[in-house]
Amino acid sequence: MLDFFTIFSKGGIVLWCFQGAGVTESFTGPVNALIRSVILQERSGNNSYTHEALSLKYKLDNEFELIFVVGFQKILTLTYVDKFIDDVQLHFRDRYKNELEQKGALKHLNFNYEFEDDFTMLLREAEDSSKARGPASMRTFKQSEKSQKTVKSMIEVKGGDKAKEPVGKKNKNTKKEGECSKKVLSVPQLKLYLIHFDVLILIFCHPTHSKSPKPQKPRKKQMRVWDMGGSSTKDLDHSYKNGNSNGDEQNMEAQINPVCGRSPSVQSYYVSCGGIGGMFGMLKGLVGSKSLTRADMESVLDKMRDHLIAKNVAAEIASQLCDSVAKKLEGKVMGTFTTVASTVKQALQDSLVQILQPKRRVDILRDVMEAQNQRRPFVITFCGVNGVGKSTNLAKISFWLIENGFSVLIAACDTFRAGAVEQLRTHQRRLNSLHPPEQHGGRPVVQLYEKGYGKDAAGIAMEAIAYARNQAFDVVLVDTAGRMQDNAPLMTALAKLIAVNMPDLVLFVGEALVGNEAVDQLVKFNQALADHSMTDKPRLIDGIVLTKFDTIDDKVGAAISMTYITGQPIVFVGTGQTYNDLRSLNARAVVSALMKA
Amino acid sequence: MVLHGEAQTINFRDKKKKHTVDWMGPLICHCLDLMSQVCYSAQNLGFHMYPEPLLTKGETKVNSNFKCMSYPGLQRPLLTPPAPHRPQQEEDVSHSQISVSGEMEADSTGGNMGIKAEDVEMAEYPFEPYIESLRQQLEDQDPVFLIAVIVALAVVVITCVFLKYFLTSKTVRSAVLLVGLCDSGKTLIFSRLLSGKYKRTQTSITDSSAPYKAKNDKATTWTLIDLPGHDSLRSQYLEKFKSAARAIVFVVDSGIFQKEVRDVAEFLYMLLTDTVISRNAPALLVACNKQDITMAKSAKLIQQQLEKELNTLRVTRSAALSSQDGSVGGSVYLGKKGKDFEFSQLPLKVEFLECSARGSKGEDGDADLGSLEKSLAKL
Repeated sequence: MLDFFTIFSKGGIVLWCFQGAGVTESFTGPVNALIRSVILQERSGNNSYTHEALSLKYKLDNEFELIFVVGFQKILTLTYVDKFIDDVQLHFRDRYKNELEQKGALKHLNFNYEFEDDFTMLLREAEDSSKARGPASMRTFKQSEKSQKTVKSMIEVKGGDKAKEPVGKKNKNTKKEGECSKKVLSVPQLKLYLIHFDVLILIFCHPTHSKSPKPQKPRKKQMRVWDMGGSSTKDLDHSYKNGNSNGDEQNMEAQINPVCGRSPSVQSYYVSCGGIGGMFGMLKGLVGSKSLTRADMESVLDKMRDHLIAKNVAAEIASQLCDSVAKKLEGKVMGTFTTVASTVKQALQDSLVQILQPKRRVDILRDVMEAQNQRRPFVITFCGVNGVGKSTNLAKISFWLIENGFSVLIAACDTFRAGAVEQLRTHQRRLNSLHPPEQHGGRPVVQLYEKGYGKDAAGIAMEAIAYARNQAFDVVLVDTAGRMQDNAPLMTALAKLIAVNMPDLVLFVGEALVGNEAVDQLVKFNQALADHSMTDKPRLIDGIVLTKFDTIDDKVGAAISMTYITGQPIVFVGTGQTYNDLRSLNARAVVSALMKA
Repeated sequence: MVLHGEAQTINFRDKKKKHTVDWMGPLICHCLDLMSQVCYSAQNLGFHMYPEPLLTKGETKVNSNFKCMSYPGLQRPLLTPPAPHRPQQEEDVSHSQISVSGEMEADSTGGNMGIKAEDVEMAEYPFEPYIESLRQQLEDQDPVFLIAVIVALAVVVITCVFLKYFLTSKTVRSAVLLVGLCDSGKTLIFSRLLSGKYKRTQTSITDSSAPYKAKNDKATTWTLIDLPGHDSLRSQYLEKFKSAARAIVFVVDSGIFQKEVRDVAEFLYMLLTDTVISRNAPALLVACNKQDITMAKSAKLIQQQLEKELNTLRVTRSAALSSQDGSVGGSVYLGKKGKDFEFSQLPLKVEFLECSARGSKGEDGDADLGSLEKSLAKL
């Protein structure tokens, strides 16, 4: 039932593989896709992944640097797969422990891992165990506990207790009949009660049939006693008793914020108690190799998660990241003199750098040159919510492009906001005055294509691109109106603009101040673009422009949230409002600012 | 067990440390010997100082010039170290001195030792007046202070030597890196070079390294390191290993080169403009892999295309935006200004060769890595 099962090292060498009967396609493609989209993008929180028709489940073994991947058809729901992978992993480790413990990659190359028989045995066991349990049959009434109870025992009496008398049915019936004859109820009511006796909660019953009640305490309403409410007001007066009042406050603060710190008295008590034993334990923890468990990393990961959230990373992204780092470190053996905290921090730092590194080549100028060779304009579209800086950054990017000798056409597709077209016209005039037409062959380097307000944005974009092609412009920058991500008609309009015009680059403009909103914005934008596109491969967001970067000091978490969600690189960083305030992203600097205490 | 990647860096450090220890060991021993000798001489001075008023016969001028600085508290610990000297000195002493010692028996034994030691020393050192003046000056000071000063001096000397060694020495470079884009065949080449076997491979997410024996007469061994080619991992692994690189094998997929030429060129540009690499100038071997595919481009064609592409990249990369903290990327300009870029203009030695890791006969056959192995042997 499985399509394939592979065991390969993190260095890329396949140690052993199994291909199911009748499966002809190589599994290299799907496994590579799994590695690239899940493991390398730090989404290894949940361990399953779907690729076309296959569903892949994987497990990382961090001690020996192995990855176990199983693939099966998506339409099948195999319940035994999770446990099966765990079993295979344990079995493989136990069997090849000696070989795997050698250092270096030669062990994988030289040794032949013969795992066929063990694997088939484990697979058979797993399949059998999944078939073994048939559907659970319903119990008959006689088998249930209910049949053993008497009616009397299920009746709640005020002040009495429920007594369970496991008496035979006959006795119960006779008792019941006897009981009922004494009641002052009419026959149909009796029958009703008889039928629904299991639903009854309160029935007045003859006192002789109940057991002797326990001595009851007179239940009076008791006066509530408050902790701080002393009989005299002197206890509440904290004004002159400085030492006492400070101590109380500190203790209360300690209760409220246990994470921030303990009061000095509590701390000193802890130190004196822990003392030498704690010191030795700490030393023992430093030296010697032990493997990391979830429990060890838990506290450090919580602290790191809080730290990331404090640095403006979206909350769910931070928790997903921490889960992924935990998965990557689980079972790894630490070297000497490394603490758990330092290992986790280092791993987190590496993952963050990995996330921020672009996954494809980012070189706009080169791509524009390529488009120039093909005699077509290079089209960049800017989209985003209201007020993030689309028009300002569009002007900055056009300045950069004309500095490098390209001619730019700005398409004013923001036909809604008052003053949008005028804003772009002002930018155009300024840029032309900075680079006068006389220096560039008599033709203005920046031109504005606008059709006023109220028109259809997609149509204006299409006309602008055609105009640019006719007039041999190098770049077309399309400015769209800002829109909220949950405004469905506007999202549809944007998706239509992008689907119809097929720009070379779709840039999402997001401000660095955004927090958890970034996740929502990007997800909804991508979803809208995917839903309303007409082709199989929809044009999604290709890059991110991070604006207002100068307003945050080191709370640079928005960069992480955005790149994590989309997987696309940050192409430009806006650091101000003049034309020169355009930068590219330096991943290491951002990560060091993020990890700085 | 240490992490795989970590193990390799630790190996390099160990090698460096070994050299350090080899060189520094004797030096440290020398310093310590010097220190101990001076200390012992200071202690001997202490001896002299104590019994000065008790000396009657055998007194020399040297003694009378000494100022009395008796530190009875120090005598006990100072007594023990010169113990090994005592038997020698006792043997050397002539009978005349035994009579002196006989007189001194009532006094502390330290006094005897002091006199005898002093006599022996007087006999042994020819350049006595210099030592006298030195001792006079040293003796003016507190012996503990003296010892402290000597220790501090020794530490300073050792630190200076360490710094000098570490700053001027070149790091040991004995690694050959296998770099290239994703799916270019690096891990398979790695496997073939080391064991000759064909292994199925997946995308690497960490580096692998192993010692490799070159096929030349000297049979040199260096470490062959296979770095992951994925874009997000490339730069961090390169950072880790570039300073230890003696040669870089840049693997290119010749089959789909036409589509990927810009990505290949960008990676190559990044390698060539890196400050550490341009300073160390390791040998660069561009291996055009996958020659077994029918549509594979030849090495010459790939070289021409890359030269053209790098020519353009020089312009676009230098016009790229600076990063947000102000730092600009590699500022090395490739080749000569004003002229088209050619690989011969670089200070590195660049060589293009063809190879096929899979081999023409498929999985069971041998790889066609002859030219690669030959070039590696020439390093």
